[in-house]
Amino acid sequence: MSLQGKLALVTGSGRGIGRAIALKLASQGTNIIINYFRHRESAEQTAKDVESLGVKTEVIRANVGDPEKIDDMFDMVGNKFGCLDILINNAASGVGRPVADIDVKAWEWTMDINARALLLCAQRAAKLMEGRGGKIVSISSLGSRFVLPNYTVVGVSKAALEALTRYLAIELAPQNICVNTVAASAVETEALKFYFKEGLVEDSRQLTPAGRMVVPEDVANVVAFLCSEDAFMIRGQTVIIDGGTSVGLFALAGK
Amino acid sequence: MTVEDQVRDIVAKITRVDKSIITRQSTFKEIKADSLDVVQALVAVEETFGIEIPDEEAQKFQNFGDFVSYVESRVTQEEKV
Repeated sequence: MSLQGKLALVTGSGRGIGRAIALKLASQGTNIIINYFRHRESAEQTAKDVESLGVKTEVIRANVGDPEKIDDMFDMVGNKFGCLDILINNAASGVGRPVADIDVKAWEWTMDINARALLLCAQRAAKLMEGRGGKIVSISSLGSRFVLPNYTVVGVSKAALEALTRYLAIELAPQNICVNTVAASAVETEALKFYFKEGLVEDSRQLTPAGRMVVPEDVANVVAFLCSEDAFMIRGQTVIIDGGTSVGLFALAGK
Repeated sequence: MTVEDQVRDIVAKITRVDKSIITRQSTFKEIKADSLDVVQALVAVEETFGIEIPDEEAQKFQNFGDFVSYVESRVTQEEKV
């Protein structure tokens, strides 16, 4: 599948990784529906930048943690376009707390946005992909399998996201829908600055054999590949984008 | 019901505190609202009044009164338009 003329919905694409994915897909000729929740100005800026690449764009506000809002968003996509080729499940949130301080509200907020949204969005997207096939790619993080400080709820939600990716990949395969996830280590974004302490950037650089931190464009490049026909036989996988951090931990510890 | 009453109901429901203790001088800490409660209150208020509250504005709220005043100013603005 050439990405030319396709239609992608990228959740949480006002900023950070979502924005980089929107721009990357747009640069390959894909029309982009930008979803945002809390940052209208950023979303409008992304829309401008996407349009300047010569493709069409639409901006939709929706909290993907709210099932009704997901329905409204897909109703709008269905009414306006009648189809969808690519769903990028990127929007995420989280509550950074030690295990002892995690309450039901923090758990549900995080799980609803990070894990349940994939289920609900994939269900609706699959209907819009009927008869034409499609690609669904989610964004996970290394916290799904490695322990990071105060990252419990987010890590668990990302583990659920990765497991759900495998089930969706098999169940949606007969409809010619490819489902995968990418998991990045710490990526230099505003969200990172918000959630983690200062010094994390330098720590991450030292822990990365590739010699620099992962940037949003690194993630976007792999996502675009997974949306291409070249990746047709990759199903239900979580592709790690970390510059070698996760496999190099023991080697680094010995330094 | 005034804007203040509506915002107070929303905040009380989210933080599960008795709404009678929420005054305009109450800080979020006094209302026992953690950062997630504040986000949820912002979202609920945005949906109730059909407005958007940028994070940059929300970060300036020192107490419940600041929050209410901001919502009041936005709601009146929208009505005038």
